[in-house]
Amino acid sequence: MPTGELLTIPFDVYRYDPADGSTPRYARYTLELAPHTPVLTALLRIRSEIDPSLALRYSCRSAICGSCAMLVNSKSRLACQTQVGPEFAEHGRIVIDPMSNQPVIRDLVVDQSPFWKEYERIVPHLILDPMHPMPEGRPTSMSPAQVARFEETPRCIACGSCYSACPAVAADPAFPGPMALAKLYRFVVDPRDTASQDRLMRIQPGGLWTCLRCHLCTSSCPKDVRPSERIRDLKEMAIAAQGATERGSRHAVGFKDNIAERGLLNESKLVRQTDGIVGMIGQIPQGLRMLRRKPEILRAPHAIEGQDEVQRIYELLEDAGEDGT
Amino acid sequence: MRKHDVLVIGAGLAGQRAALAAAQAGRSVGILTKLHPLRSHSGAAQGGINAAVGAQDSVETHIYDTVKGSDYLGDQDAIEFFCTEAPKIVVEMEHFGTIFSRAEDGSLAARPFGGAGFPRTIYAADRTGLALLQALYEHLGSVDVTVYEEWDLVDLVLRGSRVQGVVAYHRRTGELDGFSAPAVVFATGPFGRMYSRTTNSHSSTGDGVAVAYRAGAWLKDMEFVQFHPTALIEDGILITEGARGEGGILKNGRGERFMSKYAPHVHELASRDVVSRAIYTEVLEGRGFPGGYVHLELMHLGKEKIESRLQEICDFCRNFAGIDPVTEPIPIMPGQHYMMGGISTNLRGETNIAGLYAAGEAACVSIHGANRLGGNSLLETLVFGKQAGIAAAAFAPTVPGAEVLPEDVRAAKDRIEGMKRRTEGPTPLPLRAELQKIMEEDVGIYRTAEELTRALGRLAELKVKSRDLRIPDPSHVFNLNVTDALETLHLIDLAEVVVAGALARTESRGAHARRDYPKRDDANWMKHTIASYRPEGPQLSYAPVAYTRWEPKERVY
Repeated sequence: MPTGELLTIPFDVYRYDPADGSTPRYARYTLELAPHTPVLTALLRIRSEIDPSLALRYSCRSAICGSCAMLVNSKSRLACQTQVGPEFAEHGRIVIDPMSNQPVIRDLVVDQSPFWKEYERIVPHLILDPMHPMPEGRPTSMSPAQVARFEETPRCIACGSCYSACPAVAADPAFPGPMALAKLYRFVVDPRDTASQDRLMRIQPGGLWTCLRCHLCTSSCPKDVRPSERIRDLKEMAIAAQGATERGSRHAVGFKDNIAERGLLNESKLVRQTDGIVGMIGQIPQGLRMLRRKPEILRAPHAIEGQDEVQRIYELLEDAGEDGT
Repeated sequence: MRKHDVLVIGAGLAGQRAALAAAQAGRSVGILTKLHPLRSHSGAAQGGINAAVGAQDSVETHIYDTVKGSDYLGDQDAIEFFCTEAPKIVVEMEHFGTIFSRAEDGSLAARPFGGAGFPRTIYAADRTGLALLQALYEHLGSVDVTVYEEWDLVDLVLRGSRVQGVVAYHRRTGELDGFSAPAVVFATGPFGRMYSRTTNSHSSTGDGVAVAYRAGAWLKDMEFVQFHPTALIEDGILITEGARGEGGILKNGRGERFMSKYAPHVHELASRDVVSRAIYTEVLEGRGFPGGYVHLELMHLGKEKIESRLQEICDFCRNFAGIDPVTEPIPIMPGQHYMMGGISTNLRGETNIAGLYAAGEAACVSIHGANRLGGNSLLETLVFGKQAGIAAAAFAPTVPGAEVLPEDVRAAKDRIEGMKRRTEGPTPLPLRAELQKIMEEDVGIYRTAEELTRALGRLAELKVKSRDLRIPDPSHVFNLNVTDALETLHLIDLAEVVVAGALARTESRGAHARRDYPKRDDANWMKHTIASYRPEGPQLSYAPVAYTRWEPKERVY
């Protein structure tokens, strides 16, 4: 049985109740805890021993129901899956806040309806072609290799940690967020679904390409779903299916071509590839500002030293299989 | 007031399957849940769902295994129906989008589970419940069903013997409201939180079972409480039976693989009650590790197999106990896991109250009898959730005009406001902790008349105390203390039924093990316990077990 000394840990917990008319504040609670105690256990001890009015969502306490996502020392985490010891060692206290990007209802409880709405918006159920019904009375046949493409996707417990951590969600409320896009991936690659192309087409404008590729969703995911990698997969599939039709995808393809050509970016060419000649006009003020600070952008770009090696990397990647082998 | 033809309480697999069936029959359907549907406890089921789909397997063997597993207390007609439906239900879930693990030939993969004659448990890695829950919820999105989230069930409203609907409490706003419906399905899951070492979620508080019981519904076989052999000693988190299915072994403090003594043929894969009692006996007789536990070892399976086939278990051990199962044994003890008992239903989900239906773990058909087999509970939620939905949809149009009245809502409101106004008296969470202490100490794996009688006395005292229950928070916004109070009162009433049934049943059968009556007594006890509500404590009566073809035999694994 893992034992160990008890630590005296101060918790600063965000408190806000719209019913009592007070402003948000932090309440300090101090507990004696073993280092491997989950943060959720600590919060439940606060509820049962110190202050029962603390509001939070929780149910399974084993990281499978997705109820207890919150900010632990500013990071989106599941309270049940975060041990107090390492948090205390790193920060000297444990600060608990409600998740970001969603309005607070009370204390640590947020209104998740924006998150659920994005999930509903990707049409999260199989879309079938009436001309090709499921096999009568028996399961669809699917090889282990086919299943391998998406059998990890049900790991997602819809806790909302990724949505809370995502800066694109904060900047652009129209962005579906990592969870919805990872869920979309699940339906796009499902061999039973007949609307994959349509799904890719519909998600592109304003959806897919707003992702900043910061990978905060992946680092905050408590179940290793890796939403940013699924978003990358969707981008690749979208380009493969339709070519570079969106501003975002044109930028990505232009970027790749620039590097392939000379090993570095040719900004004026990249802007032309992304926005087209007409679109470039809108970028003139930005271009002039850049010119003032960095006059060398007018010079014709030359290939970098070792460009042949860059070429070789591209060739290897072209030869490699989809899985990168 | 909200109105529906069919109202389902609980949005786990049973509730959602009932809602789907009722909506497909063209009824207006509402589902009320105290969580979000995707946060339901069905999602925690790891191992799998039984269905005889393999070439060598047969529905007949599945029936036999379930009858034997139930220690001959399961109703054989219901079990026959249940096992016959299994392949159909699993195929349906596959068509709804469940991502099951596959065999090389593209068919559904199956793994061996305790008490089963063949590898019969279909699975999705070790998160089968979650995969099913997601697929069903997503499929439900393609039909017209209204979901009411974060509403706690407070009362079932009857007028005469007619169901009118329910009164519920909205966590977010503190509002109490009526939901009118002539047909109501209770699918509120288990009540394991009457124990402290339980694999159940914090939400598993028997809301529907207690509310139905107080309204006059019969409860069946409540004394049969299954203890899962392998719960992490820290906080009772479940380590799936799949761990033993994949080859995990149990060792006592002396390093002995002790299961060979208790189940010489199948060792660790014996039925759950057998394994739980074996572990408990080892510890009781001084062969456990200091502190009272045994080891589950996976190390010999190798890193690759452990991490691919038992990924969730790896995460659990690492995150909640600070243990790496690839290199270290897992310290475990049996913990409360499953309630065989529940609201008494027939195989259409009907109860003794016309218009009230129940399904899933909240119900008792009875399929599991005295002991449930692994992989049969997920199946039960879907098979009987569907039946309850079909029956409720057929019943609803025959009784128009169901209506919850403002005075029904007011009665509930007065009770809650009364508890909020109190300045003296016990608060819900400490009271619940007292209840859990009683159940752990006196109503465990092994039972005796002495302990059970003591438990009844302690529960009676607790009940008196609970009359002064106080809600220590005046807020109307997400006031969890209201929920805590409702749940704690539910658990106390249900605990009393568990103990009364256990004390009366003077035999040992399945999960009910009496030290003072160690033998199964078919002559006197081959019958279901039926409990009905009286304010002073449950009234017990008995009902016959349905037999078709299987004569009771001694259960040997």
